[in-house]
Order: sequence, then structure tokens, then C-alpha cells
Amino acid sequence: MNHRPFEDWLLDDRQLTAQQQRELQAHVRTCTSCTAIAESNLALHSTRRVGPRPGFVDRYQVRLEMRRRQQRWRQIIGTLVLVLGGLGLLYWFSAPFVQDMLLSPASWITAGIGYFVFIMTSIQVMGEATGIILHVLPGLISPAGWLGMTLAISALAFLWTVSIRRVARAPQGV
Amino acid sequence: MNEEMAWVAQAQRGSDEAFTRLVETYQTHVYNLCYRMLGEPEAAEDAAQETFLRAYQHIHRYDSKRPFGTWLLSIAAHYCIDRLRRRKFTMTSIDQDEEEGGFELPDPDVANPEAEAIYGEQRRQMQRLLKKLDSVDRAAIIMRYWHDCSEVEIAESLNLTVSAVKSRLHRARRALAGYWEAEQQPSHHERRPHESPAF
Repeated sequence: MNHRPFEDWLLDDRQLTAQQQRELQAHVRTCTSCTAIAESNLALHSTRRVGPRPGFVDRYQVRLEMRRRQQRWRQIIGTLVLVLGGLGLLYWFSAPFVQDMLLSPASWITAGIGYFVFIMTSIQVMGEATGIILHVLPGLISPAGWLGMTLAISALAFLWTVSIRRVARAPQGV
Repeated sequence: MNEEMAWVAQAQRGSDEAFTRLVETYQTHVYNLCYRMLGEPEAAEDAAQETFLRAYQHIHRYDSKRPFGTWLLSIAAHYCIDRLRRRKFTMTSIDQDEEEGGFELPDPDVANPEAEAIYGEQRRQMQRLLKKLDSVDRAAIIMRYWHDCSEVEIAESLNLTVSAVKSRLHRARRALAGYWEAEQQPSHHERRPHESPAF
């Protein structure tokens, strides 16, 4: 038999019959490359596991605590940057208006009341329009249509909830 | 549900104590893989610690259908592969003796000092040769021979197909034998053909 099958037997850790083992041993004695495979196999199978220095778990706990502290600091600094940045932006946008308001408060109060009245009137108009639509719409859409729409909206809401939960699930502990 | 799975379930619910028990159980597995991958005790310690921190952070992603040990080894292997890739072009000394940092588990078969010395030389040689392998091949060999992982488990852990694992293991074993043969060259002249220590 040529060299190839012996090499494959050795490299693939095949289960050999007694006859095959005898043939392999005879071949290995005459083949330096198969001897090297057999010796390296033996070394691979006999090298033991190495464990860490004693106190690994304690060092892990210290490291975990440090990581948590870093995480907390990062959160605090992130929140501070966001709040301060937001306040800065707000000040940058509102500074001219605030200045105007301080110079002529009466005109600003009049404008503010006008704006408030406009908003309230708009809400009232929208409420009336919605009431009319809701009054007319049931007659235009069949019960099956309503059922379909309700199901579709429920499915969308479910999908949305599931995706938000998946995305927003925070890593534990850190 | 066995005890280990109970710890995993408790850890998934946020129990630090349960996760600490898992660290105690798997510290040698994870450290050994990191040590065999990186070849330095300090780097191995750091990688093993990082593995456990990542596992703790992502424990909710653990799929209980897989063995927990294999999941940990998978995290460790990926971390070490990334680390090896990052330091590929940096000059580092990785020829330290393994007694400097790791603690070998006792082997009842090795009882006398002479056998221990021969064994010690063999394991140092194997550690040197492992460093010559490609990082993914190295991970596959370590998982196969030190952690008895099946080819399917290695494939899942290293994101490879089973046939790719088979071919990588075959190629890595052949490469190891080649390096082994090259290191043995000077002593080959002294050894007679019937003295192979393999049998």
C-alpha cells in the first residue's frame, strides 16, 4: 500500500482495525513524514490543559465591578453632555427672542395670547371635523373592512412592540 | 434541568452569584483555550477575564440548546482570533515558557521525573508549533484536542461549515507534523528507524 492512506488515517484520527493498526505501525517505522504525524498526534493528545493562577474568580469580580463603575461613569458623562448640549442649543436658538421679549414684553404677551387662541381654535375645529368623519365613515365601510383594519392595526402594534422590546433590551448587569 | 443549566437560568435572570459559579466551573477551560491561542500567561488571563465579562454581558443571548461550555469557548476563540489579528504586525515576544503563568492540571499517568521532563519538552514544543498555525486553524485544533469539541461544535463556534472544519483540522494537523519533523531534524540522524516514540 502506498503512503497516502496511512497519512489520512493518522491525520483524521480514524478508528482502525487491528490489522490496519499493524500495517500502520509497519509503515510508520519506515516513513519519516508519517512518524512526524504520529509523534505530533501523540503530543497533541497528551498535552494537558493549563489553568489560571489561583484567585481567578476574585480577579474576575474586581474587574466586573470596575467595568460596572466605568459604565456608570460613561452613562453619567453621556447624560451630562446631552443635557448641557441641549441647554446650549436651546439658549442659542432662544437668545434673540428672549432679548426681544425683555425689551417689549407687552407685544410678546399679545402675540402669545393670539397664538394660544389660534391653537385652541384649531384643536376645536379638528375635533369637530373628526366627529363628522366618524359619524359618516361607519356607513361607508363594511363590517368586514372594519374587522380587517382592526386586525391590521393590531398586527402592526404587536410587531412594533416586539421589535422595540428586542432592540431596547439592555445588557444585563453592566 | 441539571445544576449548570439552573445556574445559567439564574444568571440570565441577573444573579451574580450563579454566574460566579459558572466562572468557577469554566475558568480552566477558557483560560486554557486563551493560553493555547495567545501563548502568553498575561494575555491569556486578560482574554479569559474579558471572555467572562462578555459572556456575563450577553448571557441573555445564550441559546440553551447549545452546551454552555462551548458557547464560552466560542466567545473566547473569537476574542483571541481578533486579538491575534490586531497584533499580527506588532513585534511581541511569544516564546515564554508556560510555567511562568499557567498551572497545569496534574496527570496521573505521569508519575516519574524523567517522564515529566520528556513530557514538559513535548508540550513546550507543541506550544511553539501551535503559534505557527493560522489563528482559526489554531482555534479549531485547540477546541478539538484540548476540549474534545465535535466538528459540529467547532463549526458552530467558529462560524464555519462542518466540511471547512474537517479540512482546516486536516490541514493544520499536516502543518503541525511538518513543523514537528523540521524541529526533529537534528535528532533524526541519531535515531534508528525502529525507535519511533509514537508507538
